[in-house]
Amino acid sequence: MKPAPFEYHAPNTVADAANLLAELGDGAKVLSGGQSLVPMLALRLAVFEHLVDIGRIAELSGIERRNGALWIGAGTTQATVEASALVASEVPLLAVATPLIGHFQIRSRGTLGGSIAHADPAAEYPAVALALDATMEVVSPRGRRTIEARDFFAGLWSTSMEPDELLVGVSFPIWGGRSGFAVEEFARRHGDFAIAGAAIGIELDAVDRIRRCTLGLIGLGSTPERARTVEAELAGRPVTDVEPDEVGRLVMAALPSVPSDLHGSAAYRKRVGAAMVARAWTTAAAEARHG
Amino acid sequence: MTERAADGGARYAGARVHRVEDDRLLTGRGTFVDDVSLPGMLHACFVRSPIARAAIQRIDTSAALALPGVRFVFTAADLNPGVREQWHTTIGKEMPETPRPPLAEGEVRFVGDPVALVVAESRYLAEDAAELVEVDYEPLPAVVDYTEAEHAKALVHESHGSNVIAQLTTVPASAFDEVFASAAHVASETIYQQAYAPVPIEGRGLVVDYSSVTGDLTIHASTQTPHEVRLFCSRLLGMPEERVRVVTRDTGGGFGQKVMVQRDEMCLMLAGPVVGAPLKWVEDRRENLLAAGKSRQEHAAVKMAFDADGAIQAAYIDFVQDCGAYPTPWPLFPAAAVGTFFPGPYRVPRGGFAVKTLYTNTVGRAPYRGPWQFESLAREVLLDIAARQMHVDPAELRRRNLLRRDELPYKNPNGMNYDNISPLETFEQALAMLDYAKFRAEQAEARSAGRYLGVGLANYVEASTPGYGVYGTEPATIRIAPTGRITVYVAGGSSGNSIETTVVQLTADALGAKIEDVDTVQGDTAVTGFGAGTAGSRSGSMTAGAVRETAAVLRERILAIAAHELGVAIEDIELADSRASVRAKPAVGVSFKDLAALADAPAGLEASARYTANSPSIWVNATHVCTCEVDVATGRVQLLRYIVSEDCGPMINPNVVEGQIAGGTVQGIGGVLFEHLAYDDDGNPVATTFMDYLLPTAAEVPAIEFGHIETPSPGPGGYKGVGEGGAIGAPPAVVNAVADALSPFGVKITRLPLGPSQIVALLDR
Repeated sequence: MKPAPFEYHAPNTVADAANLLAELGDGAKVLSGGQSLVPMLALRLAVFEHLVDIGRIAELSGIERRNGALWIGAGTTQATVEASALVASEVPLLAVATPLIGHFQIRSRGTLGGSIAHADPAAEYPAVALALDATMEVVSPRGRRTIEARDFFAGLWSTSMEPDELLVGVSFPIWGGRSGFAVEEFARRHGDFAIAGAAIGIELDAVDRIRRCTLGLIGLGSTPERARTVEAELAGRPVTDVEPDEVGRLVMAALPSVPSDLHGSAAYRKRVGAAMVARAWTTAAAEARHG
Repeated sequence: MTERAADGGARYAGARVHRVEDDRLLTGRGTFVDDVSLPGMLHACFVRSPIARAAIQRIDTSAALALPGVRFVFTAADLNPGVREQWHTTIGKEMPETPRPPLAEGEVRFVGDPVALVVAESRYLAEDAAELVEVDYEPLPAVVDYTEAEHAKALVHESHGSNVIAQLTTVPASAFDEVFASAAHVASETIYQQAYAPVPIEGRGLVVDYSSVTGDLTIHASTQTPHEVRLFCSRLLGMPEERVRVVTRDTGGGFGQKVMVQRDEMCLMLAGPVVGAPLKWVEDRRENLLAAGKSRQEHAAVKMAFDADGAIQAAYIDFVQDCGAYPTPWPLFPAAAVGTFFPGPYRVPRGGFAVKTLYTNTVGRAPYRGPWQFESLAREVLLDIAARQMHVDPAELRRRNLLRRDELPYKNPNGMNYDNISPLETFEQALAMLDYAKFRAEQAEARSAGRYLGVGLANYVEASTPGYGVYGTEPATIRIAPTGRITVYVAGGSSGNSIETTVVQLTADALGAKIEDVDTVQGDTAVTGFGAGTAGSRSGSMTAGAVRETAAVLRERILAIAAHELGVAIEDIELADSRASVRAKPAVGVSFKDLAALADAPAGLEASARYTANSPSIWVNATHVCTCEVDVATGRVQLLRYIVSEDCGPMINPNVVEGQIAGGTVQGIGGVLFEHLAYDDDGNPVATTFMDYLLPTAAEVPAIEFGHIETPSPGPGGYKGVGEGGAIGAPPAVVNAVADALSPFGVKITRLPLGPSQIVALLDR
């Protein structure tokens, strides 16, 4: 379990990192918190000639309001997100998802951007980013651009970023009004990747009708998923008329394909997914109604 | 316990003395094999088969050898001819053995089978080079599913002529046809347990250090049996045993996996003297899960006949076990023990068994804590199924059949002669700790609210401390230096099981010394006598015997010298607080330090003696009771309470006893709910990292509650072995708790593991 040889780079600025990535091409990989990458290197499941460690780039860390959204630097650790009062008040879905990532030791090294760029469908942050329509900000020597979450997650562990692009920050929309949020997930053990999970937000109008809702799904596809058709069906309905179990059933029926492995078949994942959706819906709806 | 009570009384035995190992282990100052670093040391890495079964057509090592820093690439042709003899001292030369070539010869027989050994200047380079070794494999049909092995066309070992390694039938099942036909109730099931493994926190590992100057071979080993490693190695290489020294400092868990010398370790022993420098191999986690050996993976058709009152009339088990490609040791006797112990601590007038062991193209079977624990799993799960069929409470059914003290000694129908056990007492104590009736009321209330709680019970009786052959002997040396420091030397093999604390406590008591004056040296074969190490729950009783015998010799000498020095009769001397004093005048005395100087400065006082066990085994029993809640939407099992009442006789140290029980129990819980050393249909292992091989963590395990019953054994101090029981009692208790929780759904559990998806599948059936 020793990685194959690689050359280690530790640029101090985003510009230097982007130039390095452009120069080194496909043989380079960004190293952020290393919580997924380093074990894959050790097992030689991944081999890269160059690692570009972005851990020393100060401009990649930070949590602040920008243009009506909450911007979080890609290099911000999950532990920092977890402890942030700003995140808790402005993007509660992110706040409730964070403690479910691995164990606290992992969160103290793992970064928000690392998790989103790694794009594991069973991870929390990609699903939350998709559920909230977050915007990814990426930089290359060709310049800076933004990618909407719905266009970002391209497949298992793959994104629509170009090889020379570095994820520098993520902007999460801030929901106002009477809203509630919940993440429920089922893992074999505390801290494991979820077998299935749901990240749900609900906003109600003054008479408890659903103004909007978002149904993000964890571990139920080759990318994080979102049940947009079900969201549209539910919009406008009085939340008290919606049976949580019904939401779970509708969401599972809308899923394209569900993975299968040692820990559970596709059918099992769907069953658990339905239960997680129902439970998250119940919690989010109660929070939206009662605050 | 008069023999425990020295003049000063049993001051330390029975007390919760802090472990003497803890200071160094908890502050990161342990010395494991990977901490051993010698000048010029080289590093080894195995090339392992990626295919379950294949013919090796060609091995090309040239690219690997061309890599700078790579010194050797060995194949079977290089190493295997060096083998002289390969048998274990504890098993004996005459016992049958399965073929065990150090490196695969001509054919690979499981994924992970060692094919070549790369030696380089670092482990990194060795792994780089291992990727460059080209092996051409011609895939062959593999025997993956052991239930099909007997009639498979493909043979795992062509030379054996069959995939059945060995089998044994004491009495055919048909002998009991009449009993079963006329019984008021019969319970009959086939019960299956999946493969899981010991998974020590430290994998296997060796540093082999050969001196071409002196011809001495020193091996730093991660092992439970340093003396076995020494003798095995001397025979393997045809080297005089006095030239081989094994040093084991800290071993990070073994649980049986480090009792025997396996093929990988043989390769290091064979390569070490050739490479011209010390050679290190430390198994990584992937290798440990691929190649260190699997355990469990077995099933049996079991049946019990009951009379109208629920009294057991007969019990029969027809047992089949997967032993993989290279089991160590030869598996028939451990398998037969499943048969002999199947009746358990119950009144079973008739019974018998048949066992069959099979080869497959999977990793070989290795010993694991409670190697025959399937007997308890099968019996206790069957008893719960029987109770449900008979509409009798499972506690009541057990109560009617458990052996009472006044029935002991009791010979079970398979020839096991139980004595000095207390199954009914541990059972009632555990139920009282739970408040069984109260739990049943809570369960009923929860069910009416749509929540599913369950309670599982399990009893077992276990033969600890084998007293036969080389297991039945254990030496010690105790030395009092002129400084007053007392050192006790024992064979060792501690792999976390606190043998250091144990012998320090016992030596302090036996001599009347202060515990802080006592040190211990273990695991170095150059300075300790032969002992069989940590196996068979033997260390407590056997080291107690060794200390007792040796301390008795030393006490006589201390008393004689002190009596002479103080001018009183020997009978008037008492020993306490590292001092010999006059019984009537405690102020008049002489310290051990001064006595040692008087005796023979600078040599001090020293004695060696050897204890020989006085019984073929020491019986130990326990009851496990656990409660759980099952989430029927997801299949999640949450354990609520976990109670163990055991009878290991008097406890030398309750912290150690409870630590042993807790550790084994967690392994048993893991085996039911989480762990699965699974293979796919082509024989590829699918759980080779801790992402997929799930061990229970602190978050999954409730606080374990302990009850103790004390029935002395006939052995030293009345002590019994307690190392393995947790792993025996836990699986059936957990299975029965889940089955009890799901009983409103008519669910019957006969297959493990019980992951959430399996539980949901049972509910959906």
